[in-house]
Amino acid sequence: MNKIVRKLRPSDYWRIGEHESWFQDMAAKGFHLKKMGLRFVHFVKGEPEKMRYRIDISLNKRITPEQIEMYADSGWDYVTGHQYFQVYASPVERGAPELHTDPAEQSFTLKALGKKLVFNAVMVVVALLFTIGMLAAIWFLDGTPTFVLVDGLVIQQTLLFILFVYPSYISLQAAISIHALRKDLIEGKSINHHAPWKKHFRLNSVITFLFTIVAGLSAIVPIGQLIKSNTATLPEENLDLPIVRLADVEQNPALVRGEAYYMGDDVDWSNRYTYNWSPLAPIKYESDEHGVVPGKMWGDGSGEYSPSIRTMVYQLRVPTLADNLIADLIKRYNYEYSDDDFVETKHADLNLLIVHEEDDFKEVFASKGKAVIYVRYYGYADINPVIENIVDKIKFIAE
Amino acid sequence: MAYNGGPMTEAMYYVLLALMHPNYGYQLMQAITEVSNGRLKMGPGTLYGVLSRMQKDGLISLAEDDGRRKTYQITSEGEHALKTEYSRLKSLIQDGNMLEIGDENE
Repeated sequence: MNKIVRKLRPSDYWRIGEHESWFQDMAAKGFHLKKMGLRFVHFVKGEPEKMRYRIDISLNKRITPEQIEMYADSGWDYVTGHQYFQVYASPVERGAPELHTDPAEQSFTLKALGKKLVFNAVMVVVALLFTIGMLAAIWFLDGTPTFVLVDGLVIQQTLLFILFVYPSYISLQAAISIHALRKDLIEGKSINHHAPWKKHFRLNSVITFLFTIVAGLSAIVPIGQLIKSNTATLPEENLDLPIVRLADVEQNPALVRGEAYYMGDDVDWSNRYTYNWSPLAPIKYESDEHGVVPGKMWGDGSGEYSPSIRTMVYQLRVPTLADNLIADLIKRYNYEYSDDDFVETKHADLNLLIVHEEDDFKEVFASKGKAVIYVRYYGYADINPVIENIVDKIKFIAE
Repeated sequence: MAYNGGPMTEAMYYVLLALMHPNYGYQLMQAITEVSNGRLKMGPGTLYGVLSRMQKDGLISLAEDDGRRKTYQITSEGEHALKTEYSRLKSLIQDGNMLEIGDENE
């Protein structure tokens, strides 16, 4: 069994002359074309031989025995084919007549392919526009691009989009090139069977290499989050985490944990903390905590006093994102209040502090260095212990 | 593109001419060389393309098909088209006569 050598098939399959020329040069070095697939071309190692290769475009994907025989009778052996492209070979010394002696006639063989490529290109462009729209919506519809960026998954979607742009470009170029080739043939210009192929070949290898890297990168975010993300029930005792605890805000020994309403995967989702990761926020925590003070009632008589707190913590890769992230967090989680309700205040230990206070609803946004903490609290406690708790926690992740 | 009665390509014209006698593949190629007095050596790719297109257009049809070898013949429609093209070419030649007269006067 002779050694088989696999080579990447250039993605610009419409450069027919260059492909033929490449096969011929390979044969001259002893690598004889054996099989052509979508991505790879197989060569068999053998004796160097001066060969002629011709790519014939068949109107139908299946070529007929009649055609194979007609070509063979003239000295052209069928080698391999992929979709519309069939490859025939003939040793130079055999002196077989050219397959196509009439360029204008040959242009007819490209018609079906040309139509199909135009259809493909149109579909791809429509899909591309659709994807651009979708991506733009994810980034900008909320008006919170920094939040989306820090969240991370959109990075993967953007990379996937780039991965999609390249094949779109290829299919557009294919349609245009086949159209141009047909025009040349109609005008009587034959295909150059010895077209230099090295330049495009090298370019193609580089692009394929980059393409593979981007594809690999696009997998990092979801895989990283899959590995690192973790959610657990928040223990009642103190944790060594930068999250603000309900007990520290309420400062009432009578406070007990509320009933576990939402249990799933062994996690009490009303009292949980989630750790996550993204390229721009290597540390992310989100926690929820619900408590009850037995015997104490809400002021409006709606039931037992049951304060709750949610903390969102980010340690960013770069501190410059912090202010924008806070602006985006305000926008994203604010449904009913006016911007004036969010008041910026000074605090010696924080870079930025924005508070929002209603009767029994308090929000605090704070940043220091690389750290951003956002707390939403429902309850009667004062906002100051919330702020002091944030100051206390944020210093651990600010650097 | 179905044949619309316009000028034929050289390949079409000679294939139709050669198919005045039913013929197949390789022999047909030789017949074309013969009817063109050795001037036209048609490649198999060109021939196959012309055959499949003209069959679709109804200018030729299959006289015999044993699976591997297909024998083609010209249809009456094809013959009509060929004759129209022939008289068109003849007028072209007649119109060109002035060139020969011009040569004589030089």
